[in-house]
Amino acid sequence: MRKRCGHAVSRAGAALALLSALVLAAGATSAADASQTARLTAKFTPEKLGAPTALSLGVDISSAGGGLPSALTAIDFHYPPGLAFATSSLGLATCTQARLEAEGPSGCPANSRMGGGSAIVEFPLGPETREETAHIAMVAGPSPDGYLHVLIYANGEEPVYGQIVMSAVLLHGHLQFTVPLVPSLPGSPDVAVVQLRVTIGGNLTYEERIRGRTVTFRPKGIGLPRRCPRGGFRFAATFSFLDGSLAPAQTTVGCPRKQRR
Amino acid sequence: MTLVGVGALALAGAVGIGAPAWAHYSRANAHAARVLNVRDEGRLHYVRTSGELIIDEGHATGTFPGWVRVRFLYNGEPTVGARFTIYGSGGSISARGTARLSSPTSPSPSFKGTLTITGGSGRYAHVHGGGQLFGVYYRRSYALIVQAIGKIPY
Repeated sequence: MRKRCGHAVSRAGAALALLSALVLAAGATSAADASQTARLTAKFTPEKLGAPTALSLGVDISSAGGGLPSALTAIDFHYPPGLAFATSSLGLATCTQARLEAEGPSGCPANSRMGGGSAIVEFPLGPETREETAHIAMVAGPSPDGYLHVLIYANGEEPVYGQIVMSAVLLHGHLQFTVPLVPSLPGSPDVAVVQLRVTIGGNLTYEERIRGRTVTFRPKGIGLPRRCPRGGFRFAATFSFLDGSLAPAQTTVGCPRKQRR
Repeated sequence: MTLVGVGALALAGAVGIGAPAWAHYSRANAHAARVLNVRDEGRLHYVRTSGELIIDEGHATGTFPGWVRVRFLYNGEPTVGARFTIYGSGGSISARGTARLSSPTSPSPSFKGTLTITGGSGRYAHVHGGGQLFGVYYRRSYALIVQAIGKIPY
């Protein structure tokens, strides 16, 4: 059974004790620098106006001073008007945060899945900075307020075993993520997110009952408008960090070329 | 949405424009209370989308049968918007409405709100009024069921 602390952070006690000993022996390394920079990328698959698509986002965060970035606490992600998150068929069922924390994404309904990806986090271990890759799953959460909510489950196993659940709310034109702090080792800075790669939509399989039989289908992804906005699809994000700093980033997906008939 | 049409036609009947089959009832009802009670339903199928906009069409049944074309806007806010036109015998009526989704994560959220007539053509060129809007939005198929119930003063 997984231990939980705060926002569903679990740890394997033995591994933590070992890591703590290593840190105490070697002395903790660089605390977070005062400021961070972020880079944002976005891509549609397929790039076809008027059609449903999958949105792939990439984020790279680095410290201006070259050390570990401060822990990420929030993301305010802005997407271009006309991009149809709400009218996609993603998230036809929901999964509660408690269930996601207890059972992981496999315990959630198939129709609640909205996408996935990976994150790379860094944390100090003695004189070194260690890296860990966490797998990310996105599911639709319950809506207590009339807005669409997304839950993001991140699972890391080596060298530190832990899971976190982040929540996001879809507002018109932007998604607001709250990122819980993930403790690394006693006396050390919190885990720093340095890279995120997520795809919303894509190869998802949903189920429905038709005349007593379970039938699978692909949910419609995020709808692209029939006309491209002037200058392309502009995305922007502001990343908030534990040290109080903010890092803005933006990117533009160019207008798809018109296909010849 | 067909509430608009009902109200419009009833209003037209009340002032002696045209003579649909139910105009007698509407005229009598209108003279008695100066308010028209209307109830109609449209079952609409998906035609196309453009980003956050879904376009549906279908038959309206009830007091004023006709063909309805709806532009349904859902951008993630709890309130959805709709602009629609109903084509009946003798002309068309356009209206807009806003409604609040009750459970947006459901496969078929219901909504409830209000509508206002914005204009018309033919014998309904000068119609005005409004009412309440109810409906269900099917997220899987983009189909809509819309019901309009209201009292239209004239």
